[in-house]
Amino acid sequence: MASEPTTRDVTERSTSHRGGVASEPAAIEATEVSKTYPGDVRALDRLSFRIERSEFVSVLGPSGCGKSTLLRIVAGLHAADAGGAIHVLGEPTTRPRPQTGIVFQKDNLLPWLTVRANLRLAAEAQDMPRVLIEARSAEVLATLGLSTFAERYPHELSGGMRQRAAFGQMLLLHPDILLLDEPFGALDALTRDRLNVELLRLWQVRQQTVLLITHSIAEAVFLSDRVLVMSERPGRIIADLKIRCARPRDPQSTRASPEFTAHVLELSRMMGVV
Amino acid sequence: MPSCASAGLIARLRPVIDPALAFILLAVLWEYGAALFHLKAYLLPPLSKVLATLWDNRGTLLSESLVTLQEVALGYLAALAGGLLLGLLIFAMATARRALYPAIVLFQGLPKIALAPLLVVWFGIGPLSKVVMAFLFAFFPIVISTLGGLASTPLNLVEHFQAIGASPWMSFRRLRLPSALPSIVDGCRMAAPLAVIGAIAGEFVGAEQGLGTVVLMANANARTDLLFASLIAISILAGLLYCLIELIARRVWWRGL
Ligand SMILES: Nc1ncnc2c1ncn2[C@@H]1O[C@H](COP(=O)(O)OP(=O)(O)OP(=O)(O)O)[C@@H](O)[C@H]1O
Ligand SMILES: [Mg+2]
Repeated sequence: MASEPTTRDVTERSTSHRGGVASEPAAIEATEVSKTYPGDVRALDRLSFRIERSEFVSVLGPSGCGKSTLLRIVAGLHAADAGGAIHVLGEPTTRPRPQTGIVFQKDNLLPWLTVRANLRLAAEAQDMPRVLIEARSAEVLATLGLSTFAERYPHELSGGMRQRAAFGQMLLLHPDILLLDEPFGALDALTRDRLNVELLRLWQVRQQTVLLITHSIAEAVFLSDRVLVMSERPGRIIADLKIRCARPRDPQSTRASPEFTAHVLELSRMMGVV
Repeated sequence: MPSCASAGLIARLRPVIDPALAFILLAVLWEYGAALFHLKAYLLPPLSKVLATLWDNRGTLLSESLVTLQEVALGYLAALAGGLLLGLLIFAMATARRALYPAIVLFQGLPKIALAPLLVVWFGIGPLSKVVMAFLFAFFPIVISTLGGLASTPLNLVEHFQAIGASPWMSFRRLRLPSALPSIVDGCRMAAPLAVIGAIAGEFVGAEQGLGTVVLMANANARTDLLFASLIAISILAGLLYCLIELIARRVWWRGL
């Protein structure tokens, strides 16, 4: 029962919980995180939130509000301004951590490697045993519908296929924390649905923590335990909404449910869509 | 049907036909142009005469070509090794960059031909001074293109390698180097004809063997036909070198992707 984090009221706990005696550290905890880029571009403004282990959280926000910046700080690629900090499983994020998998908004594939070789790259960087890489890449290629394109090069692929390949490279790692920056943006609705379902299945099996950035309100509601909404730049969290749709979720029945519709409407209002 | 097939064949042979036509046009112009404009044969001998001389002197021209080829090949290979090494060193070490880069830029602008007499004094009248000349001519483009290639790795990929926790060695071997290769190959292409120029220039200043000496000798004896014949030999040499490099360069196909 204690491992049912989604039932806790996370917003109330989001401040200064670190160092608590009985509680285990949050998967991701941001405290007063700001980010100012050179030239006085303020991307993030004193962001605080807490994501529990095995929680699925999405971030919605207008373009340019600092979502990718936030993800980079969580990944340990950028440093937050002094005064704020992000802790991942209790550790401050000073550099990339092997068990955090990140999928960037732009598909970062090497043009001189085949899809298969690209898939293996992250696993090879972490010295995963050859046989394991072999087995997992075959599995991931099949899951993502890329098997027939395994020996092709990225420039021979469509944008959506490239995105899937980039996503697959991270899946191969079985990371405990997934940071996803609009990984399905270039996919058609059908493939997107399929990959959403696949992502949920993996998440349930592997008990991973997911932080997903998306522009699709429906996708955020369909997938998440919680949705964070960010303001225009400089980004702040203006809402933290718990999603009450039952699990397991299914594209048809979940979207037909009254909770789903209500959540989508509420978020749309919040973001000024309707 | 048959006209269709032959049209397809012509389309496929275009890459061969077009340059061949250009060469034939040039040859015809050369052959008859001189007579048309009443140029004396010792100024511009007709192509047929030049080709006849080329054939008559094939033994000498071939053996002298081999001497020059050797000088060019050694100088070029040394430039390749040294250029890549220095490029890597400068890229990897900030100290090396600060210390050496200005010197390289300075040397690159130097008219290296002016060094030829000195090199002959230093390294003798034999092939070594020509090897050094070929090296000097080929070296700088290779250093500069290696540096340029290594410094222009796409930043998003650098960040990606950081994110997946790649070691510095892996980042170099699997990212920096392959993404620098198109630029390095460009430098190697550019350097090949320069190495030939360097070796010939060295031979002009003082040598006992090589195509450069044939050119000088032909010029001194007013043998314009032999001069043109050796020029043709030099271009064949440079052309062969170019083809060889092009063959290797084909393996780096991801330019601009
Ligand atoms: N490396 C950088 N240097 C300077 N400014 C940057 C840098 N990266 C982002 N910015 C600025 O920070 C702000 C937030 O950028 P970010 O990429 O995080 O936005 P985003 O929310 O991901 O937008 P989108 O939804 O369009 O991807 C923007 O105004 C951008 O110009
Ligand atoms: Mg972004």
